[in-house]
Amino acid sequence: MDRRIIEYASESYPNRLRYISNPPTRLYVEGNIEILNEIGIAVIGSRTNTQYGEKMCKTFVKDLVEYNVNIISGLAYGIDSIAHKECLKRGGKTIAVLPSGLKNIYPAEHKELADTIVENGGAVISEYEDNVKADSKKFLERNRIVAGLGIGTLVVEGGIRSGTSVTAKFTIEDKKPVFCIPSSLENIKGKTTNELIQNGSKLVTNVQDILNHYKDISFSKKEKVAKDILIDIPEDLRKIYKIINNVPQDVNEIVRKTGLTIDEVNYKTMLLQLDDKIRELEGKGFVRNDEY
Amino acid sequence: MLDRIDIQVEVKRPKIEKISSKEKLETSAQIRERVNKARKIQLERYKKYGIHSNAELDAKMIATFCKLDSKGEELLQNAFRKLKLSVRAYERILKVSRTIADLEGKENIEFQHVAEAIQYRSLDKFFK
Repeated sequence: MDRRIIEYASESYPNRLRYISNPPTRLYVEGNIEILNEIGIAVIGSRTNTQYGEKMCKTFVKDLVEYNVNIISGLAYGIDSIAHKECLKRGGKTIAVLPSGLKNIYPAEHKELADTIVENGGAVISEYEDNVKADSKKFLERNRIVAGLGIGTLVVEGGIRSGTSVTAKFTIEDKKPVFCIPSSLENIKGKTTNELIQNGSKLVTNVQDILNHYKDISFSKKEKVAKDILIDIPEDLRKIYKIINNVPQDVNEIVRKTGLTIDEVNYKTMLLQLDDKIRELEGKGFVRNDEY
Repeated sequence: MLDRIDIQVEVKRPKIEKISSKEKLETSAQIRERVNKARKIQLERYKKYGIHSNAELDAKMIATFCKLDSKGEELLQNAFRKLKLSVRAYERILKVSRTIADLEGKENIEFQHVAEAIQYRSLDKFFK
């Protein structure tokens, strides 16, 4: 895999990042370095998002990808990883900015996600040396790069005094627009977004609201090929999950196609059902659970 | 009614070419042998309790003989909530899990046995 160090003085150093108030002196990059200068939006939000946040995040990311916009985020739990995964599923490219060195991916559970990002034309980047560990100071430092790489920041959800609000603040300092998805006043995770709107950030109800802001960029819609991203499927269930699609297939067909025993297919399909990944249609068989 | 049926499986009409096909499947004799073994295990286990099979287990005995490990327990709890199973269904799934484990000659009920037993209650999902 392409693994590069980009110095501030280098031509490949991302242009937008050059002009933030405290640019990193060097970047460690794994994957596609071209992507750092392409059009991308930072998508950020709470690590403990609500269902509403997840749904909105997916909808906006899906539409951004359709308009060829890359997704930039921090590989964290919650909104960050939802944004990365949805982008990959829709055939888009995404950048993950780490709060740790490239050999010490944080959180470690997202190592596979990081690999998948790199394999699909994206990049995983860090300003820290390979083995540096994440800590709370680095979470905040990282956020300035997330904000810095994008042409703007979309805030999905965030609680009180959140890291999310820090990224939004960096974006405003960089004189770039912050877009906010509004939330119910009863949603604690809507605190940051509603507050940002109150203070002048732009309330958006769909991706068009975001794109309209950039008068001198022409966004072209491009047909994307959806990808089968299996990150959320436990390894031992993937064989079955892969052959299940939108056409119902019964147990016998699955047995024949996978070569697994009927007992195994029975218990594995049950596990996938309990995880809401597939569902059974009466008298027909199993289909994938589409999230929309 | 359906709640009282332990194993519910949908069966499609076989295609004619399937009936005459020479696919290698477990023969009835082999299955009989497996079932007999499982029955023997149960007879042995319940010798002192005056019953012969898993089907006869009462609530107290279920607690003794159908213990789940934490993974199996978590799975069943999850299914109970998601599929809105009845208490009866819950107990019956435990008994069927016990039987599946016996058929495999396993001493303890394992995670996958529970999942398989839940799958056999599949019609619960449709007729509610």
